[in-house]
Amino acid sequence: MGFSVVEGPELESEWYNFDALNIPANHPARDMWDTFWIKDPKGIQNTKYKIQKLLLRTHTSPVQIRYMESHNPPLRIIAPGRIFRYEATDATHEINFYQLEGLMIGKDVSTRSFKGVIQEFYQRFFGKPVHIRLRPSYFPFTEPSFEVDMSCVLCDGKGFTLSEGSELKGCASCGQDGWLEMMGAGMVHPNVFKAVGYVPGEWQGFAFGMGLDRLAMMKYKINDIRLLYSGDLRFLQQF
Amino acid sequence: MVFSYNWLQEYFEGKLPKSEKLAELLTMHAFEVENIEKQGKDYILDIAVLPNRAHDCLNHVGIAREIAAITKRRLVLQKTKEPAEVRGTLKPLNVVIKNSELVPRYAALVIEGANIVKSPKWLKEKLEAVGINSINTIVDITNYVMLELGQPLHAFDYDKIHGQVMMIRASKEGEHIQTLDDQTLSLPKGTLVIEDVQGLIDLAGIKGGKGSGISPKTKNIILQAANFDGPTIYKTKKQLGYTTQAADIYSHGIDPNLGMEALERALELLYETKAKGKVVQIIDIYPKKVVPRQVRLDLTYVQSLLGMQIPVKEIQQVLQTLGCKVGLSTKKSQVLLVTVPTRRLDLEIPEDLVEEVGRIHGYEKIPTALPTVSLTPPEQNLDLFWEDIIKAALKQSGFTEAYNYSFIGEKDLSKFVYSDQDRAKLVKLQNPVSEEFSYLRNSLLENLLKNIAANQRRFENVRIFELGTIFQQTDKGIEEATMLGGVITTTAEGSFYDAKGVIDFIVNQLGIPEVWYDEYEPTPERSRQILWQTTKCAEIKIGDQEIGFLGEISNQMTSHLKITQKVTAFHIDVEKLAQLATEEKEYLPPSKYPSVVRDIAVLVPRDVRVGDVLDKINEAEKMLVADVDLFDMYEGEEIPDGKKNLAFHIVYQSKEKTLTNREVDALHDKIIKILETDPGWEVRK
Repeated sequence: MGFSVVEGPELESEWYNFDALNIPANHPARDMWDTFWIKDPKGIQNTKYKIQKLLLRTHTSPVQIRYMESHNPPLRIIAPGRIFRYEATDATHEINFYQLEGLMIGKDVSTRSFKGVIQEFYQRFFGKPVHIRLRPSYFPFTEPSFEVDMSCVLCDGKGFTLSEGSELKGCASCGQDGWLEMMGAGMVHPNVFKAVGYVPGEWQGFAFGMGLDRLAMMKYKINDIRLLYSGDLRFLQQF
Repeated sequence: MVFSYNWLQEYFEGKLPKSEKLAELLTMHAFEVENIEKQGKDYILDIAVLPNRAHDCLNHVGIAREIAAITKRRLVLQKTKEPAEVRGTLKPLNVVIKNSELVPRYAALVIEGANIVKSPKWLKEKLEAVGINSINTIVDITNYVMLELGQPLHAFDYDKIHGQVMMIRASKEGEHIQTLDDQTLSLPKGTLVIEDVQGLIDLAGIKGGKGSGISPKTKNIILQAANFDGPTIYKTKKQLGYTTQAADIYSHGIDPNLGMEALERALELLYETKAKGKVVQIIDIYPKKVVPRQVRLDLTYVQSLLGMQIPVKEIQQVLQTLGCKVGLSTKKSQVLLVTVPTRRLDLEIPEDLVEEVGRIHGYEKIPTALPTVSLTPPEQNLDLFWEDIIKAALKQSGFTEAYNYSFIGEKDLSKFVYSDQDRAKLVKLQNPVSEEFSYLRNSLLENLLKNIAANQRRFENVRIFELGTIFQQTDKGIEEATMLGGVITTTAEGSFYDAKGVIDFIVNQLGIPEVWYDEYEPTPERSRQILWQTTKCAEIKIGDQEIGFLGEISNQMTSHLKITQKVTAFHIDVEKLAQLATEEKEYLPPSKYPSVVRDIAVLVPRDVRVGDVLDKINEAEKMLVADVDLFDMYEGEEIPDGKKNLAFHIVYQSKEKTLTNREVDALHDKIIKILETDPGWEVRK
């Protein structure tokens, strides 16, 4: 769909990872991202904010900020990359994993456009028709903000599957709900446009972020995220 | 936070939808209901109130308001009692606010002759339904009002306030306070506290002090409804690692106008529960009254941002049920002037109102359609393009790709024999999850070697690679680089040459014509010398640039790691490789005429750069020389001291005709002559 792929550094400054995204310091919003901070860093090369604290990026959103700073809209990009979260690891949580974020800015890019793009993406990715729905959410860098659910690909949104003996059983994938939580998204907040130097009121657009590990786990039916970083050849050689 | 279904029902005249349906409505229009639990005749809903609505929805009336807006019902609020001061016997309480910027409002009622009785059944049950224990009427009422209206209240025993003075200020470093739950906390500088003439009596906004709390003997109370600076409470909460329900509400900041409303409700409850007492003093220090904000909402913007048109009447209704006053702008008919209630701290800009309209109306009503855009193809990301080629080449050579952790730990540092100098180059984390992940890796090899050790029981001939980021602390700051690391184990001899073959293949796939291996005193730029077997390693070079290192891992290291086989490894700087690939791929129309290759070897002083020699050749002949590639650099035996031997392939080609041997000879001699103009340079014959 014409999205350019953009990358950025894994080690970031606080400004690019938080402040530019309308997430100020000493604000409860920061609790949404458990961060790894760097100890006594002696600055980063190639950053204009030398006094800032350094961290391991908690999302690939800073890549979008860097791109917007150096490019004029209209634009559409995706930013894949490794991200880091200070978390206890288990079957669905890791300390380093992969995310894919997307951004589309134009004169009249709307929520409707977002629904269109993301439905198209999932349909092509899973190879079958799917439905998506948006629920209210909150991110400091988008307003309105959404959670995006997709109709379960295993049971086609019905909530149950047929086992070999033609018995109905609750769908293991979506917990009988028929819907899978896929990603967070929203319309880019004006403060973000301000941070990157766009003229207020001139542009609008959407941004989204999804976990690639989770997507891979769904597609290949892998049940433990830690396998992806284990270096175990019995797992790796299957791909 | 948990909410009682029956409690929520009290704010509506008609019956609410069943708990499951209500949960679905809330999830789709406001907040996700994570769990519904039946509890006796009630249902308890666990609602994940979004962080930006903590200030108005971590309480039952707030959620009831949401339900009212979503289901288009009317809200029925509970009774309140307006306080009126009567004469009493108590000395007036003197409240002094030292740091007024941290206390937007301080409201309190001094109540004489309150009865500390047991709470009535309905109050106990309501509190217990949502997990709060009943203590006595006064304390229970403070908790109840907080759960109902979202304004934390605190009750002090008036007679325990020494000197009838309450000073509210920021603490100095190291002051101590003993809290109601018997904890003694040492306070960092800047913590909000309340002090009487004898000492600290309250950790403001968080927890009451032990000395000043309500007890069965209490006769007179101070009922406090304060508004404190959110970020200050949040910071204190984090610094002390100690929090309460009140602190959680305060950290987000709340509407200062809630204060008196909450006291009026509490007063009504005091009478209903027979705790009674008479109000002898009303305190309300509220210097900067917060007034409702006005936001301009352009109707065309609502349509543009959501991607659908919503009738004006609908927009108006949604905003009104949320408590806004909606007026039309006189100048522009498409613009609404919306007056936002002060209790909604989150509604500040038009986009906030668009969200309200969108979610209450329902996002499912927004159609799905692909945007119309110009057919610009995406920008090619060259880095990813080269990386894909590299990975494909490795896959073809029988390698498996691994994704290893970006971290290494103390055990790794000793296992891999990191010297103090090595350690100084590592980037350290301030808050690692564990000691095993406390540094950032500065090479991919260590993890790959761990992969081999872990897999060797089941896999004999192993080829693994990783393409990932490493981090290094330098004098100029932290450097981040993308590297390619690979390891080969084999039971047979000759994996060193296999590795060279793999690298030749990769380089070839990238369109770079020549790579060579400098085995003279090889020193790795990125990895540590100790890893390598000194007699069997080389710097990987393209031209005179070192792009990586290759070799056998030292026997000492492999036996230390309990790896049974020989391991050959390589570590390549991907950015340098990508840059060379990009430079190489400049499109030139190919010549129809055949090329002739002649080799030339020139002996130069050691400090002469390969680039200088290339420049000289260029100077001699540019047009008919299609390419010049360094294929060997030799120092040492047979070469005079202070000199080195450089060998090049020179590719002669004309775009206009086939060059004859004599013509090529002449060109070659010309080049030799120019090279030898410098007396220190000698072309070897």
